[in-house]
Amino acid sequence: MNTESRKKALRHFYSQIVEPLGFKFTPDADLADFLLEQEVNLEVKHGIPFCPCQPIRRDRARDMQIVCPCIPFHRKHFDAMQRCWCGLFVHQDVTDPDSLPQLSAKEMGLE
Amino acid sequence: MAKVTMYTLSTCPWCRKTKKFFTEHNIPFEFTDYDLADEATQDKIMAELDAAGANGFPFVRIGDEVVVGYQPNVYSELMGI
Repeated sequence: MNTESRKKALRHFYSQIVEPLGFKFTPDADLADFLLEQEVNLEVKHGIPFCPCQPIRRDRARDMQIVCPCIPFHRKHFDAMQRCWCGLFVHQDVTDPDSLPQLSAKEMGLE
Repeated sequence: MAKVTMYTLSTCPWCRKTKKFFTEHNIPFEFTDYDLADEATQDKIMAELDAAGANGFPFVRIGDEVVVGYQPNVYSELMGI
């Protein structure tokens, strides 16, 4: 599989899912490119493009909750941060992704 | 100086930034990349994350304090720098 073509395919696929949820790709192009490349590598290794910043637990039910884009499984938390955990997606009105916090749901008082 | 240990993922850019932060401040730290660890080590790491209510990396322990996520301001505060 060609990594660049797969990254392009994932980008197209993800856009259709995250935009109706109020998210978009981060405007940090380098970060987006790096994360997509990691996801392609994870897909090659595991058969699934998991989030590059969350643990694969070898527990299928829990692991399915970190398949990108995992926003629907963590909606309250990610809406509060205005970004997903890895930062590939941000709220559509975000222009400065570096200003967004990366805080656990517990720290944000959501658990 | 407080001891710094961290659990990270080799695929996570925020984990890389965290390592870079401590390296650039000349603060020694120990780390384990969860995804490159054996299963027994992964289970031990997950037990620690679950106990702390965390489900993502980086997971940094500074002394007795735990910081989840890339939070350079908190690292600085806890390290007194």
